[in-house]
Amino acid sequence: MNRDFVMVDSSVQENQNIVYALAASPGFAQDGICFAARHSGLWHTNDGGMQWQAVQHIPFAPDNFVASAVAVSPNFQTDGTVFVGVPGGILCSRDRGATWTVVTLPVPAPFIATLALSPVFEQDRTAFAATLEDGIFRTVDGGVSWQAWNFGLFDLGVLCIAVSAAYTQDKTVYIGTETGIFLSKNGGRAWQETDFPPNFAPVLSLALSPKFVDDGILFAGTESHGLWYSDNRGKSWQQVLDTDAVNAIWFAADFPKTADICAVSNQNVWHSTNGGQSWLPKIPTATFDATITSATVSGSLTQNAVIFVGLSNEKIVRLPA
Amino acid sequence: MTQRLVFQPHTRLGFQKGINLLVDAIRPTLGPLPRLVAIDPISRGNKQPTLMDNGGLIARRIIELPDRDADMGAMFLRQVIWKQHEEVGDGTATTAVLFQSVYNQGVKYIAAGGNPMRLRHYLETGMKVVLDTLAEMTLPLDSQEAITRLALSICHDKALANALGEIFDTIREHGMLEIRSGNRREMEHEYLQGAFFKLNVNAQTYFPNGQRQIELTDAAIFISNLDFDEPEHLIRIVALAYALKKKTLFILAKRLSPRVVGVLASVNKDPQQFQAVAISSPESDTLDDMALLTGGRAFLQILGDTIASANPSDLGAVRRIWANKDYLGIAGGKGSPLVLREHVSMLRRAIVNTNNLEMRKKLRERIGRLMGGAAILRVGGCTDTEIKLHKENAERTAEAIRSAFVQGIVPGGGAALLACRPILECMAENAENLDEKMAYRILSRALEEPTRAMLENAGYEPGAFLAQMTDGVTGFDVYSGKLLNMAEAGVVDSAGVIQSAVHQAFASVALALTIDVLVHHQQRETSINP
Repeated sequence: MNRDFVMVDSSVQENQNIVYALAASPGFAQDGICFAARHSGLWHTNDGGMQWQAVQHIPFAPDNFVASAVAVSPNFQTDGTVFVGVPGGILCSRDRGATWTVVTLPVPAPFIATLALSPVFEQDRTAFAATLEDGIFRTVDGGVSWQAWNFGLFDLGVLCIAVSAAYTQDKTVYIGTETGIFLSKNGGRAWQETDFPPNFAPVLSLALSPKFVDDGILFAGTESHGLWYSDNRGKSWQQVLDTDAVNAIWFAADFPKTADICAVSNQNVWHSTNGGQSWLPKIPTATFDATITSATVSGSLTQNAVIFVGLSNEKIVRLPA
Repeated sequence: MTQRLVFQPHTRLGFQKGINLLVDAIRPTLGPLPRLVAIDPISRGNKQPTLMDNGGLIARRIIELPDRDADMGAMFLRQVIWKQHEEVGDGTATTAVLFQSVYNQGVKYIAAGGNPMRLRHYLETGMKVVLDTLAEMTLPLDSQEAITRLALSICHDKALANALGEIFDTIREHGMLEIRSGNRREMEHEYLQGAFFKLNVNAQTYFPNGQRQIELTDAAIFISNLDFDEPEHLIRIVALAYALKKKTLFILAKRLSPRVVGVLASVNKDPQQFQAVAISSPESDTLDDMALLTGGRAFLQILGDTIASANPSDLGAVRRIWANKDYLGIAGGKGSPLVLREHVSMLRRAIVNTNNLEMRKKLRERIGRLMGGAAILRVGGCTDTEIKLHKENAERTAEAIRSAFVQGIVPGGGAALLACRPILECMAENAENLDEKMAYRILSRALEEPTRAMLENAGYEPGAFLAQMTDGVTGFDVYSGKLLNMAEAGVVDSAGVIQSAVHQAFASVALALTIDVLVHHQQRETSINP
């Protein structure tokens, strides 16, 4: 194993063994905060991942609740906002996880697959929750209330969300589902199909170029057909990496000036330095002792960034970006 | 039967008189600042005239003119206007003034020796060029702002335009929109999630404890239009739901016999353990859509299906289902998303391939139901008449917006039509004979008529402004009283409406100019609908 790795074993039992999602603070270099949504509940670290503690005493939540998704605000350092998906509801903290409120979603209880916030969450108070059977829920009041918005969404099994960096102007959101990719141009109120080939779905991860408004570039990670690339906003696609399930994709913050892109598959972290045209495994010799199920990068993909990957045996591994 | 025959020049003079009378009644309604037309009420009890600003509806109410030659001309044009109204929902006044202008110019030229048949040929050629030019300047309708501006240009009501802008930005061209009469003065709108199916007027509901509405979660659904005559029928379907480990069951059936209703009540004895409800099934194409949505199979009488042949896999599944005596709603149907997407694509193709308006509406409703939500717009007002007028305005505007989604938008305020003039002028310069030259000149002159009427109706003298609207982009904004780049200012029209108005007007007037003889029956026949 690469010596830069830090393995973080949890104290929970083996049979509760999956890390569903990870979310690092955008100011991770300063505050060392990262959250982990695990089968055994919500965990967090504030020392860069050396020690992890279970978040306790969340009101209205049972002691052994499942946390299926977590996302932090892009302005986390100032607004301290964290959202956590739990069966049937969404937890929200506005003080870095010290205290929590819960919003219950309509029955039957939806399973939150992932959460995403607007890049200007502090101003527009907009966030999205993807569910496995009930489509998309959206809040425009900072998480006080969530409404289902599924106009045109024929596939309610939503697995991932990508919000445009220029969301304020283009109101563009992409979501990956069991059968393809859908696009909203009005801030998630209505959806339309893209031409992603249904045979290659489910789509587990999506990432839009930071300059998406200009270059129209997006990547889609699939469950069993690797990584796909589109440079025309999803109208046509080509496979750029033939690998197993792709769980996460990140662009360099100053893409395309720096053409670095990272993709996290079930077994490895892949790196491209030419805008996604060719890929190399980031850890040539390393093998994890379980399947990668989730990943996050601290802030944006820069040389000083840290990548956390969550494994199916509930371990969390810290890697240099 | 005695008949009267009318020959030239009386034919054209009579026809022209009727056309001019009808258009003069509609012309004041053109544009964002229209005048009203007061029409005698149909009902004798009500003395208050009906006030209208819609060319199509005004034409519909002009049923008969005393001069029979004029009447024939008016009825010819009435049919053209009504077709525009029925097919597109807007642009009737534009159609009327385009028709009138070409007819009057054409009659003058023919009277001076022009050949009507050759003129018709060149008018049709010129029309195609105009349609191509309009198509070239068409832009997609792709933002809430653009939809709102388009709506405003059609309905001239800011509150309605804002509401429709937001609604159509959400539901898009095929989405389900119900426009209802509201109980308040203001306009209200809301969105409902899920697929909605309107039930038959006499639908029966079989809900436990006489409940008026019901909601089930994680339910199995049996979709049929079969009669449940024997208790065994119900027991069979309940057993299938049990086999699927479902605790809730929703049955669509044509009818439940009293004995079956009794068994249904006993099935619901302990709702914590099992709950089953039934409702009269809607029409059969709705059942097919429901089956696709829920992953079940529709059992239909017409196919000879029987309840005894049902298997567990024939039951659909839903996350939530709710119903009252009017509506059935489904959210989170467990049908295959791929099959559903293919089905909706097929329905969309069918819309494109049909010219039958009723069929198109029905297909659109089916797509709308499957889109996963509906918008409800409640139109208010102080009186029933006001609410009715607002509702008609909303329906007309909604129809035009749907058309604009498919066919795009063009610069508004008549600018798009004016932009077609230079190419016609150029064609006239290069014409090989006088009939051709005159045809293009007539069309070119006619294309400025809608703008002229719009300016006059808004209280402006058109001559001075028209002279400055020659570049193809500049139009006159009657609200600000300024000449603007219409596309940049966001003043737009539905391309489909304008193209249809041009097509209806020019194709029909080219034909009308070739009419030489009128034949009148002794007894006249009139009809409320054109």
